[in-house]
Amino acid sequence: MSSREVRSIGVAGWGRTLGAAVISLIYFFPVLFIILAAFKTRADVLAWPIKFVFTPTLSNFVSVFFRVAVEGGQAEATGFGLYFFNSLFIGGSSVLLALIIGTSAAYGFSRFPLRGNDTYLFMILTTRMMPPIIAIIPIFVLFNIFGLSGTYVGIIALYTAFNLPFSIWMVKSFFDDLDRDIEDAARMDGSSEWRVFRKVCLPQIYAGLAATFVFAIILTWNEFVFALLLTGTQTRTVPVQIVRAIGGAMGADWGLLSALETLFIIPVVLVTFALQNQLLRGVTFGTIRR
Amino acid sequence: MDLAVSDLRKRFGAVEALQGITLEVQSGEFFAILGPSGAGKTTLLRTIAGIERPDGGRVMLGGRNVADVPVRDRNTAMVFQTFALYPHLSTFDNLAYPLREARVPAAEVKRRVGEVAEMLRLTHTLARKPATLSGGEQQRCAIGRALVRRPQLLLLDEPLTNLDAKLRHDTRAEFKRLHRELGSTTIVYATPDQLEALSMGSRVGVLRQGRIVQVDAPATLYTKPDDAFVASLVGDPPINLVPGTLHEDGGGRRIELDFMGLDAQPWRKALAAFSAGTRLRVGLRPQAIWPAAGETQGAGFGARVFLTEPLGDVTILDVMAHGDTRLRMVLPQEQAWQIAVDDTIECAVDVDQICLFAEESGVALHRDRAETAG
Repeated sequence: MSSREVRSIGVAGWGRTLGAAVISLIYFFPVLFIILAAFKTRADVLAWPIKFVFTPTLSNFVSVFFRVAVEGGQAEATGFGLYFFNSLFIGGSSVLLALIIGTSAAYGFSRFPLRGNDTYLFMILTTRMMPPIIAIIPIFVLFNIFGLSGTYVGIIALYTAFNLPFSIWMVKSFFDDLDRDIEDAARMDGSSEWRVFRKVCLPQIYAGLAATFVFAIILTWNEFVFALLLTGTQTRTVPVQIVRAIGGAMGADWGLLSALETLFIIPVVLVTFALQNQLLRGVTFGTIRR
Repeated sequence: MDLAVSDLRKRFGAVEALQGITLEVQSGEFFAILGPSGAGKTTLLRTIAGIERPDGGRVMLGGRNVADVPVRDRNTAMVFQTFALYPHLSTFDNLAYPLREARVPAAEVKRRVGEVAEMLRLTHTLARKPATLSGGEQQRCAIGRALVRRPQLLLLDEPLTNLDAKLRHDTRAEFKRLHRELGSTTIVYATPDQLEALSMGSRVGVLRQGRIVQVDAPATLYTKPDDAFVASLVGDPPINLVPGTLHEDGGGRRIELDFMGLDAQPWRKALAAFSAGTRLRVGLRPQAIWPAAGETQGAGFGARVFLTEPLGDVTILDVMAHGDTRLRMVLPQEQAWQIAVDDTIECAVDVDQICLFAEESGVALHRDRAETAG
């Protein structure tokens, strides 16, 4: 028995745990600040030094949905519900579409390589190498010609196209890491090629698909430039609305903005939280030899 | 179902994995394919199974050319070296998979999976995923998945390689039992381990660089290898291969080794085509050398012991014979205990167990029949 306590590997001491907590807090602080500000009155938001203890109010959240244009007048809806729905609907369906198309493509690239397979893959990736802003003018023109501006179809198609390269590459890497013997075993066990894909390959990469879904949904959820130019009043997404809310006759209403952002963060947090186990497995996929 | 393979060829880029393999396996036979890694064992099995398309040659199953028969209709099952269990499915679902793909009714699936699980002692693991099974259980699950369909041909690709030594021993016996119980199922068993091949196969085909070198019963492979490669592959510890030269003197021909001489008479016919001075390779089984009690009956030599490996029942001795020839011998413990490193011992050799090979080609020069009898 040694007098010095020996800590087993894999258990962090109190000191390190505390250190990690402090660092996490520093990184989390901006988010925390926004969430706190969402519950503050206009005066509290602007108070210096920053108030951590205050009387919370829900007025900011109310004004996210209802706005009083004239003092004492009728409250009118801000349309935030619609924008929120738009963000969910446009983001969700474009990411799902990209995932479905991307998974099919990835399986094809991985298992049935074409002549010049790598060239195709590289070209697919090049579409993501330039800043989106460069593509905006031709896309804007195209959208006007085909009447896609301000439509769901237009923006969903665009987001799908933008999520595809990333989805193909990521999902392909998951397929590449699978043990081919397992597929051969399935063939010997009587599976058709379709069932090898559907019953054997796909279930093995569910974690990877979840990870891809989360990364793509975060990118799409936060997308601003295309949404600003290509959505109309009916298809506007939350990021556009947030920016519109910054202006105003009385200067920026930080409380209102914070409330908007707090609400905006929730779906992503929920999705990530729900998929966190899958996500961890997904990003570490194939790094450990089984 | 009997299996016949003729002139089977398969190429992967620059590598010719199978270079014209011809084999016949009888229905119900336990046929072992022995070869070092990279010899083409796996490719051969995969081509028979239909996972790989051959570049040339034929595979006949039950007398039928299966070139155009899809994998799933070949009535063949395979156990992969990696086991290749479906990681997302429980043991039950793994075992049930082939049956479900064949649209066997659920009740029947349940019954047959139960049967196989019972036979392979997997019943307690049915609800668990492969990752939580032990190595032995994973392997039995892989075998069970292959057997559940009652295939007529069972291909086993190094099924014991990923198991520990104790488990390997038990499983060897298990395979023999299984083969007996299955009756008519033909088994082709690929392994790099001579012990597995010899102990289980009723016949063994030795594969070297995509070619079959010899097909024989295990005992024949050991006593009459067709070439030096087979000789060195079969037997443990491996055979001693030492250089020798054919000599001519007045009385007859002799084979001179660095440390002893041999009468060439038993190989008279085989050596007839060779002239004096021809270089040969002489194979001495470690089991065919022992310390001479007194006289050495014609073949013997003196040697210095430089390494002993006691294994409990036997001891492996590494000795240095005259002319710096390193030789291995195996002795029962009771003969070995008094021998120590650096001792000089007299050794006797059992001439009947000596194998002779041509220097260049390694082809065996078999002794003449009449003389061996005498």
